[in-house]
Amino acid sequence: MSGDSLIPVLTPAGPYAGSITMLAWLLIAMATAVLAIVIAALWIAFAGSDRLKSRLGGSRTIWIGGIGVPVVILTVLLVYGLSLTRNLTAPVPAETMRVRITGEMWWWRVAYLDETGQAFMIDANELHIPAGRPVLLELESNDVIHSFWVPQLSGKLDMVPGRRNTMPIQADAPGVFSGQCAEYCGGPHALMGFVVIAHEPADFDRMMTERRASRTPVLGTGAELFQRTGCAACHRIAGTKANGTAGPDLTHVGTRRSLGAGILPNNRGTLMGWIGDSQAIKPGNRMPPYKMLSAAELEAIASYLEAQR
Amino acid sequence: MRTWALLLAGLVIWTVHFFALYIVGSIWLTTPLARALTLALTLLCTGAIAMFLVRARRYLPETAMDRWVRSISLVGLGVSAVAILWQGLPALLI
Amino acid sequence: MRTETGFDHSLYDRFPTSDPRPEGELEELERIWCAPKGWQLLTAVNNNYIGIFYVGAAFLFFLLAGILALVMRVQLALPLQGILPQETYNQFFTMHGTVMMFLFAVPMVEAIGVLLLPQMLAARDLPFPRLSAYAFWAYFVGGLCFFASLFFGLAPDGGWFMYPPYTSLTYSPGINADFWLLGIGFIEISAIAGAIEIIVGVLRTRAPGMTLDKMPVYAWAMLVLGVMIIIAFPSVILGTLLLELERAFNWPFFDPTRGGDALLWQHLFWFFGHPEVYIIFLPASGLVSMMVAAMARTPLVGHNLIVLAFLATGFISFGVWAHHMFTTGLPNLSIGFFSAASMAVSVPAGIQIFSWIATFAVGRPRFNAPTLFLLGGIVTFVVGGLTGVMVAMVPFDWQAHDSYFIVAHLHYVLLGGMVFPMFAAFYYWTPMTSRHPLSERLGKWAFWLMFAGMQVTFWPMHLTGLMGMPRRVYTYLPGREWEVTNMISSVGAFMLAAGVLLFLIDVARSFRFTTDHDAGNIYDGGTLEWLPTGLYSARSIPVVKSREPLWEDPGLAEDVKAGRYLLPGSATGLRETIVTSPLLAEPQYLQIMPGPSVWPFLAAIFTAGFFILLTIQAYTPSFTCGVLAVVCVLRWLWDTDRRVKEVTVDAGAGVRLPTYVTGPSTHGWWAMIILLIVVGMIFVMALFSFFYLFGVQSQFWQAPAPAGHLAIILPAYLAAAGLALLSRRMLAREKTEHWTPGVLYLCAAAALAAGVGADMWSWIGSGLVPEASGQGATVYALLSLEVLLVGVGVLMACYLCARNSRGMIVRPRNNSLDLCVLWVVYAAAQGSMTGVLTRLVGA
Repeated sequence: MSGDSLIPVLTPAGPYAGSITMLAWLLIAMATAVLAIVIAALWIAFAGSDRLKSRLGGSRTIWIGGIGVPVVILTVLLVYGLSLTRNLTAPVPAETMRVRITGEMWWWRVAYLDETGQAFMIDANELHIPAGRPVLLELESNDVIHSFWVPQLSGKLDMVPGRRNTMPIQADAPGVFSGQCAEYCGGPHALMGFVVIAHEPADFDRMMTERRASRTPVLGTGAELFQRTGCAACHRIAGTKANGTAGPDLTHVGTRRSLGAGILPNNRGTLMGWIGDSQAIKPGNRMPPYKMLSAAELEAIASYLEAQR
Repeated sequence: MRTWALLLAGLVIWTVHFFALYIVGSIWLTTPLARALTLALTLLCTGAIAMFLVRARRYLPETAMDRWVRSISLVGLGVSAVAILWQGLPALLI
Repeated sequence: MRTETGFDHSLYDRFPTSDPRPEGELEELERIWCAPKGWQLLTAVNNNYIGIFYVGAAFLFFLLAGILALVMRVQLALPLQGILPQETYNQFFTMHGTVMMFLFAVPMVEAIGVLLLPQMLAARDLPFPRLSAYAFWAYFVGGLCFFASLFFGLAPDGGWFMYPPYTSLTYSPGINADFWLLGIGFIEISAIAGAIEIIVGVLRTRAPGMTLDKMPVYAWAMLVLGVMIIIAFPSVILGTLLLELERAFNWPFFDPTRGGDALLWQHLFWFFGHPEVYIIFLPASGLVSMMVAAMARTPLVGHNLIVLAFLATGFISFGVWAHHMFTTGLPNLSIGFFSAASMAVSVPAGIQIFSWIATFAVGRPRFNAPTLFLLGGIVTFVVGGLTGVMVAMVPFDWQAHDSYFIVAHLHYVLLGGMVFPMFAAFYYWTPMTSRHPLSERLGKWAFWLMFAGMQVTFWPMHLTGLMGMPRRVYTYLPGREWEVTNMISSVGAFMLAAGVLLFLIDVARSFRFTTDHDAGNIYDGGTLEWLPTGLYSARSIPVVKSREPLWEDPGLAEDVKAGRYLLPGSATGLRETIVTSPLLAEPQYLQIMPGPSVWPFLAAIFTAGFFILLTIQAYTPSFTCGVLAVVCVLRWLWDTDRRVKEVTVDAGAGVRLPTYVTGPSTHGWWAMIILLIVVGMIFVMALFSFFYLFGVQSQFWQAPAPAGHLAIILPAYLAAAGLALLSRRMLAREKTEHWTPGVLYLCAAAALAAGVGADMWSWIGSGLVPEASGQGATVYALLSLEVLLVGVGVLMACYLCARNSRGMIVRPRNNSLDLCVLWVVYAAAQGSMTGVLTRLVGA
């Protein structure tokens, strides 16, 4: 999606990714230096002067190059790496915002948790966070192993069924950050994307309050079609009779930047295309095509969904 | 049998160290007890390596083969010692 | 140490002999070792033939898996391409990885060993030729059937490491996953068989005088390979067994809703999977060491350090498996241990790299095709090793894992560490088995295309991974510039393929297989595989005095050819080689070797048939094949363990060797012990699964079966072991009736059956069923393993009784009986441990 950096791992947007990037640069520098030394040594061995060759041609080369220097370099790296591992997994303050993200085939269930651990707002495939503060993610899976990876904000962590893995992320400044499922989960694993949107804290609070406010259900052809065509069997829209949990929650679908789990922009055309035949876009996904709906009917449902904000 | 024991002493001690640490980490996870046990095991195994190093240096080789066994044994003990010390670091750093 | 077995080393001074050899001795030797012709070639067991078949088959799979990769690269060159539908692509990448790792890489390193090792040790053949033949044919037939699943859309699609729950029945209801599980079953058998051959071959069939310190480094690499296989493969054997049991019978090993754990598979798989990559790398690096020394025309600098590097890699590679699981949520302290060990395992690799550099610097290296492939391989491997250190650092791995960075890393280490050395080995050792060497000119072109192609393909993938592209994706969206690096990679893949094609052209033009008119030692290597050979290998088996015998003694080749060393002809009129002691290679006895036989071939066909038919759920044909396979194996075994009329023979210059030996120093005993270690490791991994599931999901566990029942179970097992040992002792006694040992053994097998039967009855009575929980699944899995052992024991009892009735179990000691006794004693021990340990934990 737009606004992405070219090399996310090297353009971190928060401390949990930033410290890894620093390590990455150090490692790249080390690796380049060692490779250069090895190539230089091979060059000398084949084409160097006799004096240099005789200095290289002995078991001392192995002791220094193969044991001594590596032990020093690796010790330094190991100390750095282990310390960083501890820092990245240090506990966050108790009042940190928590979000539970559950991996599904092939989308993400997002549940914002209150202090008691109850979900007060449910969404899918996108996460809104306040900038400048850590957010603790609780990662689970309802079916197979998935992996949550938004490289500009943190390393990845797997979603293993039967377990709950937790990981903090933080964006230093507002922005949009994309990610993708990083553990092969069959089928359209390649098209299981994710979007994180960081807001100014004040904007974030305002947005959450708006969304949590009670809402008057939208009426009209779209709403009727939504019930009649069976969408409610899999999808939920808060405040209506639609209460299905097999598919993504559509209560706030109108505010999403993307559809289909981070793979399409969100507009009337893509909404209609997705509902009409999502299989053509993301083969194997769990939503059946609705080719029997006419263009007018699709448009009605799409405009109904656009109003869910 | 003795020849193999000498050749592999260091690496066998490494094996004991590693798998003991793995069991400690699996049962007691990342806790102070686990760290303490890790440090204790690391000390123990480093001591064992030191003991074998002393013995190997005292072993007087008679034939070329014996010299070879001693040489491999010593380097093996050294490499294993490095690995054991590295494996003990998480108790202090993680 | 002056002598290991009491052999008098001054006897070596009698060689080389100076008397002329008798008329017709060489012709007789040639007649005895003559290869079968035409269709009979299928019955060949000699390592020259099996080795070349094996190398050819492995290379065929390399090409097939490579073609899959080319198609994948075409798909990924641009975003959202539909050349391969999603499901097909998922099968393609799974098969590419599986075929490369299981049908190409490990078999190729074993195959080169089969071809090269006996020659390098101046042995006439590997110690168990029929076992090699069986292993090869099972692998070849089974591998082809497995690959064919692609054409039916039945290929597995879970990735080459097949993680559940995706590969459990719920999410993979078709038989695709079963193809993988049962399909690699026979490859596991081949690998274990190969490992037994190699360990016994390296330790017991070296030329006399080739003490451990004079053994070529390649033999060391193969020895470590063999031991690694027998420790690591059982883990994947057990894992595949458990996943198949879960899919077929619903035993919940990996289902967290019933007390299983998805991560259990990952532990089992990677405990095998990481050593697997060193199993692939070590033999190749052993070949590199040999070639570097030969190309530089100087002994390897740091020989001892390299030997130690192999040993250290062999051990430490078993301590790094969870670095493939850094992102799964393991406890931090444990992660730290694995990170540390992963750093440690890179030190031995560094030792080897600098040893090669130092050797090149001391010597006068030549720039020929083998040297180019060696250099290309070294540089490539160093890149891969460095990115390996990078991902050994946990935080960096948290970004790089499962991305194209890892795809880059793994291809760099595999191509640099194994594929390029393999091509170097092809160029270097072809003159040993072919009338003409390969072409230097084509070889150089092939190298540059392959090397450049490799870099163009895989270097950009480091960047692609850092750009956020995960692995195992059949397509990707536009707009992130991923298509730039992907297109470059795809172009490179075709360059690499062009290089391979050139190599194939070279082979087609130049390679003409021969066993006795080979092109000779054109690169002037110093080790024994360059002795002039026929199908019988060296005409006479030399006494070795140094690491590079051909350099140290320029007349050696001539002397060996003239028969002036040991065993210049056949002492018994049959195929023979000399078995020597493990440390100092003192001659111990003459081993009578088999000639061509159809039984291993048929047994292999039926074994492959059993597995493949089971996979497609054709149960009756499958079990028929299984029975036939067992029958063929028994018929093959029937020919083993025969005495010849000569009790001792003159192996040359008056050195007398016995022809029939029993007890712990025989190659058969060693093979059985190694097999029991494999079985033992399977048991250890099953126990690990049991305790692991108790550790993570104990809430699903009920009280164990009553400990009191052990009062029946343990005595039954004790009786089994006792009766088996008694049968052996009774055989040694003069006064024992003819049928006593057989009957005693039969009773021992019955006691085993009683033991496992009682244990099974006890658990069934406790109300535990295997589908109920992780406890049920693992307990019944352990019991099933024991039932398998007991079943084999019963089969052995029938076999022994049959041999006994024909008077083939001869006093005072008999190898067949001894080996079967070892089996029963082990089975009794495993059964006892099963009974005790399963009752240790529960609610």
